[in-house]
Amino acid sequence: MGDNKRRYVIPGEVITTGPYRPDQNVILEDKKIIATKVGISEIYDDSVKVIPLAGKYVPKSQDLVIGKIVSHSSLSWEADINSCYVGMLPASDVFGRNFQPDSDELTSKLGKGDLIAARIVNFDRSRDPLITIADRELGKIDSGELVRISPSKVPRLIGKQGTMIQAIEGATNATITIGQNGLVVVGCDNPDGLLKAKKAIRMVDEYAHMTNLTDKIKQMLESKSE
Amino acid sequence: MASTSILDKLKRNQIIDLLDKGQRFDGRPFDEHRPITIETNVIPHANGSARVRLGDTEVVTGVKIQPDRPFPDMGDKGIFICTAEILPLAHPTAEPGPPQEGVIELARVVDRGIRESGMVDVSQLVLEKDKSVVGIFADNSVTDHDGNLFDACSYASTAAILTCKVPKWEMKDEKPTLVEGELSDPPITTIPVSVTMARIGEHLLVDPNSDEWACMDARITITTNSDGNICALQKGGNNGFTTEQIIKCSQTAISVGAKIRQKLEQARQGN
Amino acid sequence: MGGRDSKLVLLDENGIRCDGRKVDETRKVTIKAGVLKNANGSAYIEFGDNKILAGVFGPRDVHPKHMSDTDTGIIRCRYHMSPFSVTERKNPAPSRREIEIGKVIKEALRPAVILEKFPRTAVDVYLEILQADGGTRCAALSAASVALADAGIPMRDLVAGCAAGKVEDTIILDVGNEEDQAGQADMPIGYMPNLGQVTLLQLDGVLSPDEFKKCVDTGIDGCKQVYEIQKQALKDKFFGNGAA
Repeated sequence: MGDNKRRYVIPGEVITTGPYRPDQNVILEDKKIIATKVGISEIYDDSVKVIPLAGKYVPKSQDLVIGKIVSHSSLSWEADINSCYVGMLPASDVFGRNFQPDSDELTSKLGKGDLIAARIVNFDRSRDPLITIADRELGKIDSGELVRISPSKVPRLIGKQGTMIQAIEGATNATITIGQNGLVVVGCDNPDGLLKAKKAIRMVDEYAHMTNLTDKIKQMLESKSE
Repeated sequence: MASTSILDKLKRNQIIDLLDKGQRFDGRPFDEHRPITIETNVIPHANGSARVRLGDTEVVTGVKIQPDRPFPDMGDKGIFICTAEILPLAHPTAEPGPPQEGVIELARVVDRGIRESGMVDVSQLVLEKDKSVVGIFADNSVTDHDGNLFDACSYASTAAILTCKVPKWEMKDEKPTLVEGELSDPPITTIPVSVTMARIGEHLLVDPNSDEWACMDARITITTNSDGNICALQKGGNNGFTTEQIIKCSQTAISVGAKIRQKLEQARQGN
Repeated sequence: MGGRDSKLVLLDENGIRCDGRKVDETRKVTIKAGVLKNANGSAYIEFGDNKILAGVFGPRDVHPKHMSDTDTGIIRCRYHMSPFSVTERKNPAPSRREIEIGKVIKEALRPAVILEKFPRTAVDVYLEILQADGGTRCAALSAASVALADAGIPMRDLVAGCAAGKVEDTIILDVGNEEDQAGQADMPIGYMPNLGQVTLLQLDGVLSPDEFKKCVDTGIDGCKQVYEIQKQALKDKFFGNGAA
């Protein structure tokens, strides 16, 4: 890779020794900074971390995520958010503070299989993460197709200051909602545009580590559809 | 929790909308199966084996052949048994432990499809009448589950049985003794092929993948033999079929079955 | 198991073993990472004639709930032999031997995985022996480690497995099936190469104190060789052609 501050690592490999603070996906053992996941290590002035290439989504407060409702109790829904834990959406989030468990029927608003754009409210590991859909750009998703990518590829899909996602949306006329958890919803009136947009997203997932990715995608987007 | 097997509503609606327009989500014609690859002799220590990929569904099957006691009242017939297991690594909802009703049905349907066709001539598998016979066991292990395990297991079992080698035993002192180095082809009379179809609304689809399986109203698995006759059938699912649909499915099973039979013949020649 | 050649020579005068290997030589090992579509992580290993598939799910919800731990994630491991994996067809129901091996492998992996950050979850490791030829637990352990890394489970180190043993009063590396049955000792070992920790160790047979030390050292050498192959399997999958 050339740059000796970035390196491919596997779990157990020593990245460096020295007075660094262990950041994400590394541990400090005996003055050695050791990678805990397959990924790309990065050494900063005072800390070391690994950008993982595998693993489920770890919820972070304020993240936008796409979820799929999988069940409900009388007081809340549970959503699959591609994480180790299910997201909890309290009924009061949708019905308001005057929510009455006896009369307000949860399934009238959201049912099994519905997709939602939600935000992580908080996550402290002792309980399942709390999510909310009470915001203008959040809520039930009524149209579009779901594409799953690895959560670690999301920054690449967004691109520097949004350049990658804007390029894809621009070339295809698609509307793309990206969840930090690797779930992406693509909507497009034009079936060709939809196919190209989905293909571009899958290309980012598969080739994110390559340097000429932007060119490859540009090429694909500009080519005539079959 | 079965969260990952819940199909999101948007996709379900898209699948049904496309079907009403005459299209399948993955672009296949209604009467076409997913790409099939058949590899044989993947477990060389077994007497026969195959690995089949049907789209993203994958099954590994091994055939073991060994002497056994005949079933009572069937002293002039060898033993043929087919089993199936969905390995827990095949799907997030597959759990280890005693098989549940779905897996038991899978194993029994696959077994019946091959047994009722008479594929293996068990009268050729007798060492000493009423005392000692040859037993052929085909064990299917599903390693990756993306729908339609019935057909994947059927093709894997058939390919493994077609390409297995049967050792020779001689009776010595009332016991079957292995004769080293003598292997023969199995006594095959026909090649059974199962074809599974799903009904979604009015549409009948061959080889449903797991998304289509999640949307379907009912399913039917029909096994045909080399003569183009129907030798086994199983209807499943929580809804029904009209008589016309059943007849149509039987016709599809024969024509699609013939194409798949060619692939199985090729796999047999390849050995 | 009957009818074995009683003239089987386990070690000849040139130091060559019954399958043509030298005393410090392992069988051929190949590993491929990421071979299954549904599992979160997976690996396939061929270790000599052993063929083993490993699949990992997790961290995920634990069922039944009473098995979960409020302080940390747990790891569960199932070792299972396919009915067609051994000479005489095996009943698919798990045997006591398989259950013990599952436990031993689980305990070999536990020190390597970092689960404290995932309370109330489980990491499930499923090992399927498709073809067995001696040394399956070490091979399965090696595949399990690669599958865990493939799934992105945080780990302190990989765990590599290899057995050492004794035939004809000589310490050998990587005990094959016939050597296991006719030899004098078999010692499976699981080892974390970067941390220098032995996490799986069992012994069948009789060894003097000197032989014991030599056996452990030989086995660890074997584990280090297997580790290089585990590393390469992950690099091939994740780093493509641009491996650093």
